[in-house]
Parts: sequence; structure tokens; C-alpha cells
Amino acid sequence: MKVGYFFIPLAPYLLWLVWAALRFPLPLSYNLRSLWQRKVGSLTTGLAIAVVVAIFVVVLSLSQGISKAFVSSGRADQLLVLRPNARTELNSGVERERVRILKTHPMVAQDDQGPLISAEAFVVVMLDKADGDGGTNVAVRGMEPAGVRMRPQVRMVEGRWFKPGLPEIVVPRRMQQRFAGLALGRTLAFAGQDWTVVGLTDAGGSAFESEIWADAEELMRAKKRSAFNSVIVRLQREGQMADFKAMLEEDRRLKLEGVAEVDYFAQQTEAGKPIQVLGNLITVILTLGAVFAAMNTMYASVAGRTSEIGTLRALGYRRREILASFQWEAVLLCGSGGLLGACLALAFNGIQTGTTNFQTFSDVSFAFTITPGLMLQGVAFSVLMGLLGGFLPAWRASRIPVTEAMKG
Amino acid sequence: MRFLHLVLRSLLRSRRRTVLTVLSLAVSVMLVAILQSVLFTLDSFAHNPNASNRIAVRHKVSITNLIPYRYIEWLRQQPEVDAVMGLQWFGGVYQDPKNFFPNFAADPEPITRVFKEELVEYSEAQFKDFVRDRNSCIAGHALMEKYGWKVGDVITLKGTIFPMDARLTIRGTWRSRRGTDEQALYFHWKLVEERFPSLKGKIGNFWVRAKNPDDVPRLIERIDRHFADAVEPTHSETENAFQLAFLKMMGDYASMIHAITAAVLVAILIVTANTMAMAIRERATEIAVFRAMGFTGTQVLGLLMVEGLLLTVAGGGTGLLLSFGMAGAVRQTAGTFLPYLADFTIAPETLLLCAHATMVLGILSTFIPAYRAVRRPIVEGLRAL
Repeated sequence: MKVGYFFIPLAPYLLWLVWAALRFPLPLSYNLRSLWQRKVGSLTTGLAIAVVVAIFVVVLSLSQGISKAFVSSGRADQLLVLRPNARTELNSGVERERVRILKTHPMVAQDDQGPLISAEAFVVVMLDKADGDGGTNVAVRGMEPAGVRMRPQVRMVEGRWFKPGLPEIVVPRRMQQRFAGLALGRTLAFAGQDWTVVGLTDAGGSAFESEIWADAEELMRAKKRSAFNSVIVRLQREGQMADFKAMLEEDRRLKLEGVAEVDYFAQQTEAGKPIQVLGNLITVILTLGAVFAAMNTMYASVAGRTSEIGTLRALGYRRREILASFQWEAVLLCGSGGLLGACLALAFNGIQTGTTNFQTFSDVSFAFTITPGLMLQGVAFSVLMGLLGGFLPAWRASRIPVTEAMKG
Repeated sequence: MRFLHLVLRSLLRSRRRTVLTVLSLAVSVMLVAILQSVLFTLDSFAHNPNASNRIAVRHKVSITNLIPYRYIEWLRQQPEVDAVMGLQWFGGVYQDPKNFFPNFAADPEPITRVFKEELVEYSEAQFKDFVRDRNSCIAGHALMEKYGWKVGDVITLKGTIFPMDARLTIRGTWRSRRGTDEQALYFHWKLVEERFPSLKGKIGNFWVRAKNPDDVPRLIERIDRHFADAVEPTHSETENAFQLAFLKMMGDYASMIHAITAAVLVAILIVTANTMAMAIRERATEIAVFRAMGFTGTQVLGLLMVEGLLLTVAGGGTGLLLSFGMAGAVRQTAGTFLPYLADFTIAPETLLLCAHATMVLGILSTFIPAYRAVRRPIVEGLRAL
């Protein structure tokens, strides 16, 4: 849900409001002061709006966190080689013979340490959660040294990388919050042997934030497997993607399928679908409630000031100026509530949580990240509520006949 | 009762305000009712009273690892065991990935015994046909209706986990008590096993039915102990525990729903308190007149409290009615990607919870402004006359 789109049809009205505020500053400052005058009413409405905006921002950050985890994981010039129709690494298998052929292919990029291609093993193991609330499935990826170099977004922050041929693992630092026994130097038992944690990484919020990494050969030996799950390849140029894919399918020795890394991860964002749908539902319903509440407060505020409005009219202020100033009052009321709500949402910043990617049956960790952009969206959202909830009362204020208003 | 008319009149005094407050309350209560019902529906999967006899056995490492099929022999020989079936989540897709429903590759014969409570109504002859025909399947009644299938139709399930297409003749169907139990499809595990040499002699889970629910804990312990030193150790748990673990994998949705519920309730409290404060402030003179006429402070307080209560009950009631209307929409949308919600309804427990919550909110939100209004000296209120 992009809040911005809602503003497009309202743009002329908004422009007019700004123009009116600049042209007739008096009623506006009058409205500001009357917000202050009715402190309790303004405060309660502002608080209600704040709660709604806080929920909006937190839910938005959640669904963005999931999308970001997958979207930021892929590179446009890298592709994943899988068995045809496997769809995910978990269900795929690539034999050693095929990996050997791929490694010498001329389209594969090189760096000073050799070809940028890594044959990988992907297994799922059960880990106990840190909060003692049972276990969940976590992905373990075995890779070749090139695999580490091909994913520069994953940085080593403490310790060192695993050594080929040793039962060593590196874990994302963020996973420590959610799973037990992942401290540096501790051992973890899975695939029939003990693995020592030798390094902690930071994967910058990508999908690798949810993966334990180890040496591919060591993992395959432990799991008694002979075939890798997938091969990741960096091409010399992005434009070679289509050619390379065609080659994979046509070469009779290979008969494999290539998926652009970006596409592969985009397809996995489905994991966040339930949360996103739930989030949208919640937001729509809450907005309705908040608009009604704002409308209520503004109507009361207009009704309580009939004679004041009459005075303004008698002083020569025109109907549309009254409309603009009351509309501004509603926008300011909701906007300040929204600002408060966006700040409240900050309390959730950095909290780690997770869901399961049901395509790979493994856990996806992600953090609530309350970015300034999201907070801005929250405030924009509250302004929208102010516009919607304030229009009818403001319209009413502008329609009050002078004579009647003066009578009160 | 004498004063009900008076209370109603005061509520209708500012019709727009009352309507707006009721609407604002209604949508919020509707949200709370739906969210809590989602939680309730999901929880009911992990507390299925019909499942008390059943044990799920899986590989100790994770549900993606397969266990040797030969374990079934030992399981069958246990004196407490009534029936055992091999079961594998196939995860097949019918026509479009959006058409999601649980489908399993399983041992065909024991299905009716293991799931005795779920398969309420079925034809013996149809199930015999299913057992005989390796390329056939059985599908729940609700599923058949959803896709317009008839017994005898041939359908294709595209494998997502196993790279194969299963072409299956529908040989039978069944009815259950709960709609969700009619959403599944079962076909022969042999069909999958034969296709892939790597799957030979393996399967994902065993579903064990104990003769007596009291034997279940002991049986679980014995199964795991027996296979503890095997190359492929097992992990057994009750079907309910298995479901719970599966639900937990989706994330900590329970905390999220509770947090949102709490926040929404706070917002409702604030909004109602604001409305009541406005309504009462407006009436300062009127209240003073009442008091001067001889109404006691407690009586006036009571009148105002009843007014607040009526307002919130009206809002809450409308919200609950709306949530019933929305339940169908939730079933339609959420049910397609989360089959757990295919049976979504607003549970009576949720109704009760929401009704109580709104009443408490009504009392809380009215008390402070009403109490303050009553405590004001009468003279002060009359001065405005």
C-alpha cells in the first residue's frame, strides 16, 4: 500500500489549501489556538490517531522487512543453476560431473582467485529457539570459497570464515537473538556431527540473514550426499543471462535450468504474503475507525464555535477561507497525532522476528526496521485521515449563516 | 427502566455524534473480533479433540528429512497401536499455484482407520476402488465442490517438492464434521516412490493411531527410544503438538494479534471517553437542573453511565454483526493461501470476549467525565441559565 497514490487526486485541493493558508494567515492561527484551547479533546483524538498510525507503520515495516530480505539478496549478473522444475534449492540436485563442466565455461566471470562459481549444498535442520518456545527449521548452506566472495553483502563482523574440510560454521549475528547456542566457539550438533561456530556475520538484512554457512564438501560428507543442490554462477556480463540459460537447457551433458538470482528471490517473497494481507486488512479497517473519530471531534469543535465563526464571517472572511482554515485544523490535529504515532513505532525498531518460507521449509529472520521513509508514510497517512475526516465538518463550518451564528 | 427513555433521548440528542462514535467503535470491534477469531481458529487446529489418539512420527532432524519405511513394521507390532499409515506432504498444485489445498501421498488402506473421526461419511465401495487403483485419489467433499470435480474425473497435480505430475482419477470422496477436514486430497505414496530411485523405501511421516488415548504419552516415548540409536532417529509427538509446531513456524502471529488488539482497545477507550466527555460537558446545565429537581448524584451518575454503556454496546454490537458479514470474505481471501482459515468463523468465545471488552470500555470511558460532572457544585451549573 503506497499512501502517496491517494494524494494524487487530492493534489489540487491540497495546493489550494496551501495557497489559502499563505493568503489568509489570520484564521489559521486562530484555528491553531483553538486546538490548544480544547486541549483534552484535541489530545484524545490525537492519541487515537497516534495509535492507528503506530500500528500502520509497524505493520508496514514488517511486510517491507520480508520483501527487503529477499529483494536485496540477488544480483542481476548472478544466476542459480537448478535441476529442471525444481523451483527451490531444497528440491534440486546437481551432480559433480555437471558442476565440473560448468566451472570451465567461458561465460563464467573470474576474479584473482579463480572462477566465480560455487556449488552448494542446502539442508534444513531444527534449532531450538532462544525463548525456549520449541524449535524451528533453519537453513544450512554449504558453499565453496567462491560462494563467500560472490555475496559481498555478507560481512564477517567477529571471528573468521569456515575453513574447507573442517566442521565449522559461521552464523548471522542477528540469528543469535532468536536461537539458542549460537555463540562464538560453541558447537552445534546436526547432520550427525558437531559443528563449531567460528564466525559471526552481518548480511545487511538480506535472506542470508537466516542461513548458517559451512563448507560444501564438509556438509555433503556429513549428510552422505553425492550431489550438490545448486550451483551459483556469476556471468561476465549481465547481458549473457539469456544465452547462459539457453546453454544450460540445450547442452546434453547438463540439462539444467537457470534462474536469475533476482527472480529466484522475488518468487520467494510469497513467504510474507499472509502477514502482508493481514496488515492491509488491519490498516483499512483502522483507518475507517480513525476517520470517524476525527470527524466527531471536528464536528464538536465546529458546533462549539458557531458564534466565533459568525464573528469571522461578519469581519469579512469568506466561506472558502473558513473552509480552508477548519480543514487545516483537522489536518494539523491528525498530523501531529500521526507524528506522535510514527515516533511510538520507533520503539519496535530493531526487534527480530521470523516466519517460515514454506517453499524451503526454513526460517526467515527479519527485523522491524522503522526507516524515516516509513515514518513519513505514517505521517502522510494521518494527514490523509485529517483531510477525509475534516472535510465535512469544515464544509459545515463554512455554511453556517452569519445571522444564525451571531445569534448563538 | 423508568429512565430508559430519558437515556435514549440524551443519546439521540446529537445524532451525528452518536452515529459517528458507533461507527468508529463498530469498525474497531469488528477488527478485534476478526483478529481474535483468526487466533481462535488457528489454535483450534492444535487443540483438535478428535486427534487425541493420533501420533505423528517424523525424522528427528526436520520435517524435510525422510525416514525409512520399514519402521512401519515395528510400529504395527506394538500392542497399543491400532493402525499406522505412511504419509507424505506432496505439496502439489492443481492448475494454478493459487489453488492451494493440502494433498498427501499416503498408504491408502489405513486412511479410514487412522482418520476414523474425520471421515464421517463415505462409501466403502469407492474407497475399495481407490485402494485398488494406484493412479487414483480421494478428495474431500468441500474440495470436490470447490473445483466442480466428480467421482471418475481425472485431475493433474503438479508437484512442487517432487518434480513430477501426478495424473489421478478421483475414485471417492468423504464428508466430515468440519469443513477444513474436507479440504484434503490423498493418493498413493507408491506412485511417487516409484518415480524416484532416491525415495525408495522412505517416507516423510508415520501417522500412528493408538487404541487408547491414555497410551499415547507412553507410546511416544517408546517409539523415540526404540529408534534413538538408528541412523535415522525419529521424533514423535501428538498430532496436536505437530500442528502447533507447524503453526509456530509461521511466526509469532499470536503476539502480533494480541499487541494489535490491545492497541485498538486503547484507541477505542480514548475515542469513547472523548465522545462522552463532549456529551457530558455540553450538558453541564442540564445536569445541574436535574440535581436541583431532586435527582441524587448517584442517580445522575447512573444515568450517564447507562448512556455510555448503551453507546459502546451499540457500537460493539454493530461491530460484531459486521464481523459476521466479513467472516465470509476472510474465508474466501485468506482461506486460499492459508487452508487453516478455510473454516473461519467468529467463535462464540470471541463474541463473548468482545462483548465483555466493549462493556468494560464503556464503563471505564464514561466514569471519569460523568463523575466529574456530578461532583460539580449545582450552583455553578445553574449559573449559565
